[in-house]
Amino acid sequence: MNAMMKNFLPLSALATAVLATAGTAAAADVDEVTKFSKPESTVSVGIGHVSRDNQRFGQYTGLNKEGAYGLLDVDFVRRNEETGTWFTLSGRNLGFDNRELRFEHNRQGDWGYYVDFSQIPRYDPYTVTTTLSGIGTTTQTIGGSATAQEYHLKTERDILTIGLNKELSNNLNFQVGFRNEKKDGERLWGQGTFGAWRFLTDPIDQTTRQIDATLNYTTERLQLSGGYYGTSFENRNNLLNVVGSTLFAGSNQMALPPDNESHQFHLAGRYSFSNTTHGTFKLAYGRSTQNEAYPTAPVTGAPSSLDGRIDTTLVQAGLSARPTPKLSLRANVRYENRDDKTPVFRYFPSQNTATSTNDGTNETRDIKTTAGLLEAAYRLPNDFRLTGGVDYVEKKRNSPPVRSVSYRETTDETTVRAELRRSISETLTGALSLIHSNRTGSDFLLNTLVNGTIYSNQVAPLHLADRDRDMLRLTLNWTPTEPLSVGVRLDAARDEYTGRGISVVDQTVRKGDAQNYSLDVAYSFSDKVQGTAWYSVNNTSLESQQCGALVADVCTPGTQQVWGSHVRNLADTFGLGLRAKLSRKLELSADLTESKVRDEMLLNSIAGTAVNPIDVINTKVTSLKLSAKYALQRDSGVRVMYSYDRYRTDDWTWANWNYSPADGGTTVLQNPNQKVNFIGVSYYYRWW
Amino acid sequence: MLDVADKKTFRSHAMKRNMYLSTLLLLSFALMSGLAGVARGADVPAALPDPSKPPPKDLVLRDDAKCTRCHDEADNPRVLAIGKTRHGVQADKRTPTCTSCHGDSDSHINKPENVKERPKADRQFGKDSTTPVGERNQACLTCHQGGKRIHWSMAAHATNDVSCTACHQVHSRRDPVRDKVAQSEVCFACHKEQRAQLSRPSRHPIKEGKVVCSDCHNPHGGAGEKMLARDNVNDTCYQCHAEKRGPFVRSHQPVQEDCSICHNPHGTTNPNLLKVRPPFLCQSCHEPTTHHATAPVGSAVGGGNPSTPQAVIMARGCVNCHTNIHGSNNPADGAGRGFRR
Repeated sequence: MNAMMKNFLPLSALATAVLATAGTAAAADVDEVTKFSKPESTVSVGIGHVSRDNQRFGQYTGLNKEGAYGLLDVDFVRRNEETGTWFTLSGRNLGFDNRELRFEHNRQGDWGYYVDFSQIPRYDPYTVTTTLSGIGTTTQTIGGSATAQEYHLKTERDILTIGLNKELSNNLNFQVGFRNEKKDGERLWGQGTFGAWRFLTDPIDQTTRQIDATLNYTTERLQLSGGYYGTSFENRNNLLNVVGSTLFAGSNQMALPPDNESHQFHLAGRYSFSNTTHGTFKLAYGRSTQNEAYPTAPVTGAPSSLDGRIDTTLVQAGLSARPTPKLSLRANVRYENRDDKTPVFRYFPSQNTATSTNDGTNETRDIKTTAGLLEAAYRLPNDFRLTGGVDYVEKKRNSPPVRSVSYRETTDETTVRAELRRSISETLTGALSLIHSNRTGSDFLLNTLVNGTIYSNQVAPLHLADRDRDMLRLTLNWTPTEPLSVGVRLDAARDEYTGRGISVVDQTVRKGDAQNYSLDVAYSFSDKVQGTAWYSVNNTSLESQQCGALVADVCTPGTQQVWGSHVRNLADTFGLGLRAKLSRKLELSADLTESKVRDEMLLNSIAGTAVNPIDVINTKVTSLKLSAKYALQRDSGVRVMYSYDRYRTDDWTWANWNYSPADGGTTVLQNPNQKVNFIGVSYYYRWW
Repeated sequence: MLDVADKKTFRSHAMKRNMYLSTLLLLSFALMSGLAGVARGADVPAALPDPSKPPPKDLVLRDDAKCTRCHDEADNPRVLAIGKTRHGVQADKRTPTCTSCHGDSDSHINKPENVKERPKADRQFGKDSTTPVGERNQACLTCHQGGKRIHWSMAAHATNDVSCTACHQVHSRRDPVRDKVAQSEVCFACHKEQRAQLSRPSRHPIKEGKVVCSDCHNPHGGAGEKMLARDNVNDTCYQCHAEKRGPFVRSHQPVQEDCSICHNPHGTTNPNLLKVRPPFLCQSCHEPTTHHATAPVGSAVGGGNPSTPQAVIMARGCVNCHTNIHGSNNPADGAGRGFRR
C-alpha cells in the first residue's frame, strides 16, 4: 500500500459516511421534474493505477510514482427551497496530492460563508544525485554525505481560505476573504563564480497571508466598491549557511527572502450618466514594507534592517459613451506612482572605489506610470464596425547615481490601432486589426564610474530601448453548414529595436518576430456526437548582437569578438476531441493533444573569434485522455478513465553540465523519454 | 532512494492534511445531516402538470408556465436545469423569471397568424442569436453590476463584443467558466496562443485546475492593464510569489518594474517561465563589460570541468552564479552587486 492510499483510506471512510446518509435521501421516490430542476449531489469512489515512476505527468498532481491511487470526488448539495439556503461540500481529487475541499453555507441574497482547502504540489522534474547534506534545511554542507544520494525535490502549497459575505441592505453588501498559504519544501539553487559551481537547495518554509475586505454599494446609476487589501509574507528561513570551502567572499551565507507586508485601501466606482454614457474610476493607496532584521551583520553604523517602504498611489478614470446608435467612444486615463521611500545608506563601502560601477548604496526604484486610451467605434452598413484607437504609456523612473547598466529615466510608447470587424452574420464573422506602436524616451543617461570617468554605454536594454512594433491580427469564424464551424486566427508581430548609436556595433536586441496561427474546426455529427480539431503554430524569435568588449565603450570588430544570435522558439500543437453520448447509458470522451517545440539558438560570428554552434533542443509532449461513463442505473454508474502521457526531450542543458569537483560531482538529470499510462475506474452515485 | 519530502515532513504533513480534511468533512457532514431534513421536505416539488388541465403551473421559476408549457428538457439548453442554479432559487426575490432575461416575447408566445414561422424570443443568447451583444449583456448587467464588474464598460471583452453567455452557461448548475478545471478551455476558445503555450514544459498548473485564468485576470475588467486581477503585473504575481516583492538591500531594476519583462506566465520551454533562455535574456540589458557578452558554448564537455561560456547557458545559465536574481537582503559588504548571495 503506497502513501497515497494511506492518505486516501480515512477520507474514503468519511465519504462512505456521507454516502450512507445520501442513500436515505435517494430512497425517496424523486420525480422527474425534481431530477431536471433541482441540484443533485454526487459521490464518486474508485481506484487508479500509474504504470511507472515519472517526473512530468505527476508534476502537479502527485501521480509521479508507480502504484495505486484512490479516486474520490464529492459534490454534496442541499438547498432549502423555502429559505434559499444552500449547503455544499465539494471535494476534488481527494486521493491525490492536489486535493481540494470546499464547504459553503449561504442564504442566497442574505449571508454566506465558506471554507476552502487546497493543496498544490510541485515535483521538480529533475533527479538530483549529490553528496550535499542538509537538503531542505538552513545549513547545507558541501560534500557532507560520504556517498552521493538521489533526491527528488518538491514544494507544496497548503492553502486555507475562509470567506464571508453579508447583504446589509438592498444596495449594500460586505465581503471579506482570508487566505493562508503555507509553502514548504526545497528547490534547485546554487552558487558559483568563475570556474567553480556548486549545487545547493533553497530551503522553503514560508507563509503568505492575504485579507481582502470590500463594501459594495449598488444602485441603478451609481456603484461603489471600497475596501482594504492586505498581505503579509513570513519566511521562517532567512539565511542559508553553506559549510565548505569559501567560493567567494561571503559565499558561506546566502540570504533568503525577507518577511514583508502590504496594505492597500481602495475605492472604485461607476456612474451611469445615461443609459449610454458611463464613467468609472478607481483610487487606491498602498504601502508595502520590509523591515526584517538583516540575516548577516552590516557594516558598522549601518541600520540593522532596511526599513524598506514603497507607497503606491493609483488614480484611474474612464468614460464610455454611445452618443449615437452607431458611434461608441471610450476614454481612459491611469496614473500610478510607485514611490520608493526606502532610506538610502552606503551598506557596501568597499564597493565605493573610484573605478567602481556602484557607489555602495542600496538603490531605490521609483516608477511613475501614466497611461491613456482614446477609442472610437463606428457601425458601418452590413454589420461592419470600424474601430480606431490610440494608447499612450509613459514611465518615469529614478536613477541611481552610478550604474552598471544603461538607463533612461523616461520611456513613452504610443500605439495606434485600427480594426474592421463584422460582428453579426449568418455564416461569417471576423475581424482584421492593424496595430503600430512606437516606443521612445528621454536620452540615455551616461554611465560613469564613481570617479566620473565615462564607462560602458553600448546597450539599450530590452525594456527601455526605442522600439517600433507592427502587428497584424485576423480572426475569422465561419459556419458553412449547420454542423460545421471553422475558426481561423492569424497574429503576426514584428519589433525593430534601435541601439544607442554610440558603439560601432549596435548591441543586444535588434529585432523580434512572432507569428501565431491557429485553425479550429468543430463538427456535430449528430445532437449526441461532437468532434473538435485544432492546430496552432507559434513562432517567436529574437535577434541580437554582442561585442565581447572587455573594456568600456570600446568595440573594435576583429580585435573584440562580435557575434550574433538568433534565438527562435517554434512550436506546433494540435488537439483532437470527441464527445459522444452513444445511448442513454453510455457516454464517451476522447482528447488528444500533441505539442512539438523546437528551440534554436543560432550563433554567428560577425568579426573576430569563431563561435561554436549550439545544439537545438527538441521537446515533444503528447497527452491522450479517454473516458467512458456507463450508467448502471439512472442514479449510478461507472466511469473508466485512461490517460497516456509522453514527454520527450533532447534538452542537453543539464545533461551536459558538470558541477565543479569541489561540489562532489552533483548531477541533475531528467529522463529524456517519459511514458506513463494511467487507468482508473470509479463508481458514481447521485441523489437529490 | 531518498525522497526529500517523504523523509523530512511526510508524516506531519499527512496528519495535518488529514486533520484539515477530516475536520472540514465532519463539520460539513454534521451541518448538512442536521439541516438536510428541513431542506428535503421542501425539495420535492409539485408533480408534472397535466397539459390537459389549464392553467399550467409554474415548474421552476416564477411565471415560467407560459414558457414551460412548451419548453422542456428536450430543448437545448435544457430549460428546467436553470432550477439547479442560483437563478432558480425562488426564495431569493432578486432571481429572474424567464422573461426577465428573454424579454416578454409576446409574438413568440402567441404566434401571429400572418407569419409562417414563430418569431424568436425577444432576446436570444445562443450561438445563432440575432440579438445585439449589448442588448444581451444588458439583460445580465441589470442585476449583475458593481463589485468586480464595476469596470465592465471599459473592459476589452465589452469593447470586443464578447457576450456574457459566450463565457457563462446560465442554465447549467456547473458553469464551466466557474469550474477550476474547465475554465481555461472556455478562455482558450478565443485565446489560442495561450492554449498552445499551456502545452509547454514550463507552465503554471492550469491543466490541473490549481491555477486558473481568473486568479490573475478579471475577465470583467479592472483598473490596471491586461484586465489583471490586481492593479499591475507585479501586484498580481505577488499574490502567490510575495517572496519576490522586497524591497531588498540589493534590488534588480526590471524585477521591481514588471515581472513580465523576463517571464511569460502562460508557458514556455525555458525553465521558470523565462521568455528566453539565459544568457540571451540577460544579454538583452547588460553592458558587454567583463563576461557579460560571453558567447555561450553548449556542447558536451565530456566530463570536464565547466567554463564560463558553458556556465552561462547550461544548467541554470547565468543564475548558476547570480542566484538571488530577484533581489538579495544580504547587507554584508563586499562581493559587488551580482545577486550571488
